Amino acid sequence: MTDRRARAEVGVAGRRLLAYTDARHQEAHQFLVEEAARLDERDFDGWLELLTEDVRYRMPVRVTTMRRTGVDQRPDMAHFDEDRSSLAMRVARLGTARAWTEDPPSRTRRFVTNVRTFVGELDGDELEVESSLLFFRSRGDVRPAQLLAARRVDQLRRVNRELRLARRELQVEEAVLRTQNLALFL
Amino acid sequence: MDVAELAGHVRRGMVPALVYSDADVFALERERLFARAWILLAHESEIPEPGDFVVRRVVDDSFIVARDDRGNAGVHLNVCRHRGMQVCRAELGRTSHFRCPYHGWTYRTDGTLASVPFRDDAYGDDGVPPDGERLLPAPSMATYNGLIFVSLDPAAPALADYLGDFTFYLDLYTGQSADGIEVRGPQRWRIGANWKIACENFAGDMYHTPYTHHSVVDIGLFREPTAAKRKEGVVYEAGRGSGTTYKLPAGDFRQKLHYVGYPDDMIDRMEATWSDAQRSLVGRDGFMVSAATVFPNFSLVHNWPRRRDGGDVVPFISLRQWQPVSATETEVLSWFAVDRNAPADLKDASYQAYLACFGSSGMFEQDDVENWVSITEASRGVLAGRLLLNSRMGLNAAGEPLRPPLEGFAGPGTARVGFGEFNQRGWLARWADYLTADGR
Repeated sequence: MTDRRARAEVGVAGRRLLAYTDARHQEAHQFLVEEAARLDERDFDGWLELLTEDVRYRMPVRVTTMRRTGVDQRPDMAHFDEDRSSLAMRVARLGTARAWTEDPPSRTRRFVTNVRTFVGELDGDELEVESSLLFFRSRGDVRPAQLLAARRVDQLRRVNRELRLARRELQVEEAVLRTQNLALFL
Repeated sequence: MDVAELAGHVRRGMVPALVYSDADVFALERERLFARAWILLAHESEIPEPGDFVVRRVVDDSFIVARDDRGNAGVHLNVCRHRGMQVCRAELGRTSHFRCPYHGWTYRTDGTLASVPFRDDAYGDDGVPPDGERLLPAPSMATYNGLIFVSLDPAAPALADYLGDFTFYLDLYTGQSADGIEVRGPQRWRIGANWKIACENFAGDMYHTPYTHHSVVDIGLFREPTAAKRKEGVVYEAGRGSGTTYKLPAGDFRQKLHYVGYPDDMIDRMEATWSDAQRSLVGRDGFMVSAATVFPNFSLVHNWPRRRDGGDVVPFISLRQWQPVSATETEVLSWFAVDRNAPADLKDASYQAYLACFGSSGMFEQDDVENWVSITEASRGVLAGRLLLNSRMGLNAAGEPLRPPLEGFAGPGTARVGFGEFNQRGWLARWADYLTADGR
């Protein structure tokens, strides 16, 4: 039996790993690093510009199950299950003067590693990019800093020659999140 | 710590801040409150088929909530009778048996012992004592509208008596048709806050909404929580529950439910399912339930924010259990709930509205939790812990209510219009009752 836990339920058919020297991989990797920089700089409007109009942004709830179950995330419940309009609303809220949970702001650092870029057999234009994310967040001067680790499976699409995020599936590595909230984007 | 003194302060609406972080208080809560009260664990829709199970806690006690081969829901302590190993280490699944990984004692989904390896060799024909032949059942277990509750007290009052008149209001969340709700989730996460603050907040804090949640009004997500709107609502106490409401604009029963986003077919079912008094609460009196808490740590919320696609509003319901981890940490279990018979498009839009507002990423909940964590942190101070926090809103200096209870209100219990901390004081007084009562 194939262990389906190894992969999120997304992926282009017949995908092929690109060499790290491939220009498309390097461009995709650069996109993720630039995206993380905008988020760490709290340039949330700038982050929205990196998303396609039809973006899907999901973070399913992970659950602890026995291996034989074959699934370890809830099919019908997520921490994030967003489209562009709902993400824009979250960004708008962070822009108000009264989003207390992020004012004073958290100090954040996103570490994006283990980047692999895939192309599908038929669709040469979209890239599927897997990465590991370690998200560090510190608030105030008393609370312990919080970490959140996730595997990300992204689909990047070329829009007017620029790469844009069309889909992100976050496989968070905790069944019970040890972070106060998900006010920020991962 | 003098618990009688604490209780005395709390009963007059002055809350010693240390109750939000003191380890001795928490130890007493474990022993005298959580070992006696009825605690929500799950909803039957989480375990629809025989063999389905979820694992939930009452503080540190782990329970398997399982549907057995005959289709009955049961709750069993997740501890092998042999050496105390957890027989189930998954949080959900479907299984025929629970098998202890240590020595292989195997239990059926109804908790009874099915087999012991080498039983005759190890124990003889009659060696395993009869009381070891099943997982320990929850001392008391009962359901209401599919909600599964347990109590660690075998002499707990009947659940219906415990909930009392709050079922009138609970039906408005969980009984919108004869088939009741289905739930998704829960989302689970830990917050650095004392569990009581959340319970009090949901029980009756209408006063925080305009300020804490200003940002969601600023962005047009939810039009209601302005100060003017909140003070027109009533807070009510009934049985073991208490909650808040919003006053709806003029109109009949159907128009009022349209206002909060319910479609006609759902309104037809509410009309058919609810009692005259329940319909009058909405239609005649014009109140719609919002947040509520069932003592001790089960809360509900019902709001009607803007739909993701713009324009109309859509209602959503969330259930939550504030599960204490320690005096200063709480695990939140937050479910999305919707009537089983709701149209598919409403279920989807309602789920999206829930995610926007409550739960781990919810824009209401984020700012609530920031408050609760900050209160918990502050209360750890020696000086701060001695402060008596003023929870006397709605009373004058002599301790008399500023306004009498509402007359002619359609619902049971006591209802009051305007800002006040009657519900929080009521919740805390009950908390004090449990803490000051010695164990049986």
